[in-house]
Amino acid sequence: MTDLPGRPSRRGFLKASAAGVAMALLPLSAKAQQAAAPVPLEQYQPVFFTPAEWAFVMAATARLIPSEGDGPGAIETRVPVFIDLQLAGEFGQAADWYMEGPFAPAADPLLGWQTPLTPAEVYRQAIPVFDAWCAQTYNAAFTALDPARQDEALAALEEAAMLAPEIRDFFSILLDNTKEGYFSDPIYGGNHGMQAWVYIGFPGARGAFLEWVERHDVPYPLGPVSISGERA
Amino acid sequence: MRTFLRIVALLALTGVIVLLAMIFVPVRLTPAVAALPADWRPAEGQGEYVMRAGDCAACHTAEDGRPFAGGRPIESPMGTIYSTNITPDPDQGIGRYTLDQFRAALYDGIRGDGAHLYPAMPYENYRMLTEEDVRALYDYFMNEVPPVADPIPATDLAFPFNQRWGIRAWNWLALRHPAGFTPVYGDEVLDRGKYLVEAPGHCGACHSPRNLLMMQDGVTLDGGRFLQGGAIAGWEAPPLSGPASAPQRWDIPDMARYLGTGRNNHSTANGEMGLVVEESMQHLTPDDRIAIAAFLKGMPGGEVVLPATTEPSETVVIPHQPAGDAGKETEALLVSAPADMAIGPRLYADNCMACHFASGTGAAQIFPKLAGNTLVQSDETMPLISIILNGAHVPSTAQRPMQLVMQGYRDRLNDQEVAELATFLRSAWGNDAGPITTERVAEVRAETAEDAGDPDDTARD
Repeated sequence: MTDLPGRPSRRGFLKASAAGVAMALLPLSAKAQQAAAPVPLEQYQPVFFTPAEWAFVMAATARLIPSEGDGPGAIETRVPVFIDLQLAGEFGQAADWYMEGPFAPAADPLLGWQTPLTPAEVYRQAIPVFDAWCAQTYNAAFTALDPARQDEALAALEEAAMLAPEIRDFFSILLDNTKEGYFSDPIYGGNHGMQAWVYIGFPGARGAFLEWVERHDVPYPLGPVSISGERA
Repeated sequence: MRTFLRIVALLALTGVIVLLAMIFVPVRLTPAVAALPADWRPAEGQGEYVMRAGDCAACHTAEDGRPFAGGRPIESPMGTIYSTNITPDPDQGIGRYTLDQFRAALYDGIRGDGAHLYPAMPYENYRMLTEEDVRALYDYFMNEVPPVADPIPATDLAFPFNQRWGIRAWNWLALRHPAGFTPVYGDEVLDRGKYLVEAPGHCGACHSPRNLLMMQDGVTLDGGRFLQGGAIAGWEAPPLSGPASAPQRWDIPDMARYLGTGRNNHSTANGEMGLVVEESMQHLTPDDRIAIAAFLKGMPGGEVVLPATTEPSETVVIPHQPAGDAGKETEALLVSAPADMAIGPRLYADNCMACHFASGTGAAQIFPKLAGNTLVQSDETMPLISIILNGAHVPSTAQRPMQLVMQGYRDRLNDQEVAELATFLRSAWGNDAGPITTERVAEVRAETAEDAGDPDDTARD
């Protein structure tokens, strides 16, 4: 049974009630209100990616925003989940984009999308080409390389010499999607626990900062709130 | 012993006779309060105007139904009453009604076939309509409303409430005030206001408390607890008299604006009153709205200063209203926003403050003030909880076409959070009302599941 927008189904209501009862047993904290814990990333069943693609995206995003060093990485913030859901949805299908030609691969990137392929098709076609390039160059799949080699391979991917014109922008698409998954609202699957927002001090979907407009050099004290009402 | 039995038998016999009389002897109908000339005709539009002032459509037009074709379910303590078809269809509607029968429905609560109407029909109030307005209304329903022949569900209350003759006894007590209107002020504006409030506007039907027999405790200015506050469908109908009442706190233009547009510098009309504004009050003339506001202001002795108009002639900037003394403490907390503030104010900051502000004063003409708000502090807790869960909307009116919509937080806040937030609102800025429990929120969430919808849905209503 699917919940129609604005018309909660009985089942949805019962589930929500059950969750409500469960939550009622916990004391409310003003500082933290997490959504129910999602499945661990290792057990996540991708909706768009094949297992090989998933392994690549996990490994590649882990290098683009690494977990070591300052702040959370792409893996803890579940960026691969965000990308998987986006490619399965309207973004992946370029559902509301102008997708008629002409496509001019030589055109300035500012002139927009220059390939007839949808983002989902770009991922699907580019990952095997790049993996084949890795096999040829390093005699190993990208996921099997050590981090230094992975960074080197990604740098080559950015140069895109191994990619046909239709998929040559794959690296920049992947990088953009990684950043988006890192900073967007958790409702879209990434930025888990609003860790990226906490890290940079972004207050999220609160929308009430009138009192702070003219207050300079005073740290903003409240943690973020998400669209679905999570607090951190 | 024998004497005693005789007395009992006599009493029983009397009882039976009275009962039979109540059931079978026809009710004596109230005659017209004025004899109008035979050639009297209502002015163009007068009947429709009385219909608007009386808000007939509120009950007699069903949701998405054809005008005045009835069938709207009205929840009453006795069960569901379906409003009747008052189009001029001869079979389903009132097409066969004579003027006297029509007047009897308004004055005595008697249907064309002689049966008693349920007092969901506010004949306690319509009883005070002038003969001119009764005639105009009759003319309107007979000649201007298109007939609708669709059958409507019959009202089927459980025993004893399905015994309509019982209402006869109720009417003996409820209809002791004379028919027609009694001016008392010797002032055209105030008496006009009194008339609109008492008779067609039937304000007392919700805003006067009901006594133990469910009668309006005060149907006229000089009676009972007139307009001292009542309830309707789980909403508090706040008192319209007394020093803390809105007509005393607001000036006359603000009160008139509220009636005409559902919004003023203090508050917005939603729920039942939103419907009254949308269906009835916005259709009155500005002068009549001023008359109502003036009467409400002067009724308990407030000073009446009549404005020439309720709308400023040029664009005005309404400055943001700072928190009053009682609100300073809450405002300071929200402005400093310490990371360790309690969950209630934190939820307010996260969800409400962008529109209602740290001061709780909202924004004039758009967002209602929460400080000192009647609905927020009411003992009827359903509306506050429902508005947090399901949102609210202030209707579009001719004068102020922009519909104001507040989103609902059903999906964003759980029951415990809504309870914490509502409890905070009821004690913030000097508000003084008791806490809301998680259980109460769960009840309202379940009861109002039907009302949940995205604001776009509401906007189409």
